[in-house]
Amino acid sequence: MQFTLDPKPTENTLAYRHHNQRSSDLDRRNLLKLGVAAVVAASLPGRQLQAQSALDTCAPPIPQNHAPSNGGSCPYPIPWLDKNGNHNQSPAPNVELSNIFHFKGKLARCNGFHGMGTDNKGNRFAWGNPTTDYSYMAGEYWAGRQARQGIFTHT
Amino acid sequence: MFKGPAVPANQFHDFHPPISPEGLYWVMPVPTEGLTFSQDGTTATLQMTNVPIIDQPRWPAMDAETTPAFMDFKLVFKATSEPVKYEDPLRQFRFEGFKANAQLEATFRVPSIDFTFKTDPLDTSKCDFAVMGTEVNGKYYEARKS
Repeated sequence: MQFTLDPKPTENTLAYRHHNQRSSDLDRRNLLKLGVAAVVAASLPGRQLQAQSALDTCAPPIPQNHAPSNGGSCPYPIPWLDKNGNHNQSPAPNVELSNIFHFKGKLARCNGFHGMGTDNKGNRFAWGNPTTDYSYMAGEYWAGRQARQGIFTHT
Repeated sequence: MFKGPAVPANQFHDFHPPISPEGLYWVMPVPTEGLTFSQDGTTATLQMTNVPIIDQPRWPAMDAETTPAFMDFKLVFKATSEPVKYEDPLRQFRFEGFKANAQLEATFRVPSIDFTFKTDPLDTSKCDFAVMGTEVNGKYYEARKS
């Protein structure tokens, strides 16, 4: 949802009444408050603009040519977060093993890969750690208000 | 990848897919031919080539810089005969399957720095935990009465 500045704002009835009733209250104290608020507001626009531009990327596209609007076809992540703030569960017994929510199908997942390898200069390095995990998820998932088929991997 | 012992301080490459705008974590689609099963269904092979990924050595730092990279890999799961079932009605998921063995071989390329790394062959890799089976979650989940 986007908000724009209306060049002809409608009257805020409650505020108008309030102002009329207490017009004499617009004294030096209130002017001082207004001044402080203006200074604070003047320091915010940059941050607000940044936040707004970040939010703009969240705005859903307006369908063209009367196309329907049902959401995207990509799978949804698992709703809850891991300790790092990601939609990911490190695989282990008794935890959600899928990375996709609203899913039914074949799944395999493994964790704790480790091994050795060689770079293009002949150097030998270790790879993998306790959270090096891979998976496949093959089957049906729900997105864009309908069931879809797909194969995905988490690597 | 690590220079020396496999501890965070020694990590100098971290290869993975990006996180999607929806928050899907290091997940990417697989072409239909990329996943195959043995006739009896106990062995699954996931194989992909030239997969676009990123190298993000300072992950999980929020400002960890990324470099485009590519990956070829072959991952093989082999189910054992030991059944497992993980279910959580509150979190709406149920996994039923078998413990498994999994092995991986992969090649990672970072063209911009002329870096390539190839793991040793498949049968030399090891993993600590693997399962293989079927899962239902979210809207597809219905708790079973035991």
